[in-house]
Amino acid sequence: MKNRAETSGIEQKSAPPAGGQGFVRLEGVSKRFGDVVALHEATLDVRRGEILTLLGPSGGGKTTLLNLVAGFLLPDSGAIHIAGQPVTEVPPYRREIGVLFQNYALFPHMSVAANVAYGLRMRRLPRPEIARKVAETLALVRLVGLENRTPRQLSGGQQQRVALARALAISPKVLLLDEPFSALDKNLRGSMQLELKEIQRKLGVTTIFVTHDQSEALSLSDRIVVLSEGRIRQVGTPGEIYRRPTERFVASFVGDVNVLRARLEEVDGEAAQIAIGAAKLAVPAGTLRGCAPGAPVELFIRPEQLRLAETGDETACEGVVSAHSYQGGHVDLHLASEAAVSGRILMRWPGTEAIARWPVGTRIAVACAGTEAVAFPASPS
Amino acid sequence: MPRRPFLRAFVSPAALCAIAFVAAMAAVLQFSVRAYIPGSLDPGGFTLVNFAALLKPLYGRVFLDTVWICFITAVCTLVIGYPVAYALVRAKGAFLKSAMLIVVVTPLFLGEVVRTYSWIVVLGNNGFVNTVLLKLGMIERPLQLMFTSFGVVLALVHVTLPVMVIMLAAALSHIDPDYERAAESLGAGPIRAFLSVTLPLSTPGIVAGVTTAFAWTFSAFATPQLIGGGQVNMVSNLVYQLGFASFNFPFAASLSVVGLVLAFGMIALLRAGLRPLEAVGPQ
Ligand SMILES: Nc1ncnc2c1ncn2[C@@H]1O[C@H](COP(=O)(O)OP(=O)(O)O)[C@@H](O)[C@H]1O
Ligand SMILES: [Mg+2]
Repeated sequence: MKNRAETSGIEQKSAPPAGGQGFVRLEGVSKRFGDVVALHEATLDVRRGEILTLLGPSGGGKTTLLNLVAGFLLPDSGAIHIAGQPVTEVPPYRREIGVLFQNYALFPHMSVAANVAYGLRMRRLPRPEIARKVAETLALVRLVGLENRTPRQLSGGQQQRVALARALAISPKVLLLDEPFSALDKNLRGSMQLELKEIQRKLGVTTIFVTHDQSEALSLSDRIVVLSEGRIRQVGTPGEIYRRPTERFVASFVGDVNVLRARLEEVDGEAAQIAIGAAKLAVPAGTLRGCAPGAPVELFIRPEQLRLAETGDETACEGVVSAHSYQGGHVDLHLASEAAVSGRILMRWPGTEAIARWPVGTRIAVACAGTEAVAFPASPS
Repeated sequence: MPRRPFLRAFVSPAALCAIAFVAAMAAVLQFSVRAYIPGSLDPGGFTLVNFAALLKPLYGRVFLDTVWICFITAVCTLVIGYPVAYALVRAKGAFLKSAMLIVVVTPLFLGEVVRTYSWIVVLGNNGFVNTVLLKLGMIERPLQLMFTSFGVVLALVHVTLPVMVIMLAAALSHIDPDYERAAESLGAGPIRAFLSVTLPLSTPGIVAGVTTAFAWTFSAFATPQLIGGGQVNMVSNLVYQLGFASFNFPFAASLSVVGLVLAFGMIALLRAGLRPLEAVGPQ
């Protein structure tokens, strides 16, 4: 079995899908509701067989984008293509899409089997074939034996599987999922995420997944689209989004981040040299356009990119331990520091030794452990 | 401090009303088993003669007519009311919704007599319908619309519609629009999605609406009285004639009692008949 989890990122870029175009393609799609611009000029290619996640805060336009692909909404402008066909004007029932609704929307008056068979019946398939496909799909989502239950007799996780089976039974061209796991508790959510990913890999179905949970997006996706206020902010692999955010919003929305005051030293082509305390750091220059050398900048750096300065290290900044929070596998160390825009710095230590070694009140010198950081012009305030 | 401090204060008016209703019912029941003394408003001794007299075909006919008119009215109201309720629930925009709601419930605001007289203006030989049809040359003589079951049913549908629409709308508003979207995403066109999902899920509302419409029409008085004009009689008209034209209170009372029992019986029958449908809806 091919494992595409390993071929994420760079390799995918070098091997675009046949035709060089997305399997699902949005071209300048806009949608407004009255005065609210729910989606503005969205242009996006979803590659065949990938899991693409729409990530963003509530009200960002994720559901709107999904509903436009599904055909539940008509765009005000722009065009949508699925599998090379223009579908902008095609009603949902001719689009051959599978949708997993946030509240599952299982038909309460039908059994599990009838729910899964619904889309096949609508396609007027012969009975034996329907029965075969229903059994096959229920086996895929591990629900064998529950055929005759009604949705109300199932647990939340089971209902979710039925909903997934119902959407997959019709062998959809595209699978759309709108925050499907938000109603599940944390453990169940984790196992459903894994299972969804396995099933998706097995079938190779092109999938658009909506979530506002950045860790879900990072763990589940081949690529992530960050959406806020109806605009696409960045498109990239989880690694790109996490390590090389191109916008201030993306940097602060995805993952924990420290924002430190720094200064631009010089720009050299694609790289920029940043000075923070005694330390120097190279960051991408792309996010610093229009900044002159010497200008104040804000350095966005992940907790795991910071470490304790040892003798001989260039100290980036100092801080006083204000709190520990034990996270099981690691300890979060909170520092109060002048160097941080928010006045606080977050560092991470594996194990529990940090609690004993640096009690609250200890002064700590911080150095940059890696080079994965980005800088943006200092906000005017 | 009592756990529910307002319970007594809130329940007392309802209890008083209930006592008054029970007393009135008891009086009617009591009258129904007393003898009629011609020329006197006071009843005589206990007897079952009134009920025996009801067995005459004349009265059986009225009961049958009443059930039939109620049934036709309920069905017509359902057929007309369902699309209206659906539109009301699915309409976008608060303004459109309120406008529709106001139009729908207006018949309830008109008094029964005013409403019925306006139907006379519409249905009479020189009324709106006949005048228009005559002027257009589509008919040569006025159609007989007044004093027919058709006219009575038409007017009854008019006043029953708001109740039906409100009950159906209540049921439909509990159906998540995502069910229809799910059906459509699975390949069902709008009509098939409606027939296979929304309609079955709304059966509890249909059952409630039809039963209520039935009970609502069963007690109609002014409409059959004025539009039926003695040609179309329902139970309440007969009660009125016996009670206030002949002053035969005991007989009128026994008629009322039988009417009431019949109404309950029909509603029970209706519910039993619709039960298989209801099992289809969400539990
Ligand atoms: N049917 C609608 N009517 C009016 N406004 C809407 C409607 N759907 C979405 N919106 C608005 O469009 C914006 C984007 O909404 P949505 O796509 O649901 O965001 P998300 O799914 O990212 O939370 C929000 O401001 C929301 O209020
Ligand atoms: Mg949403």
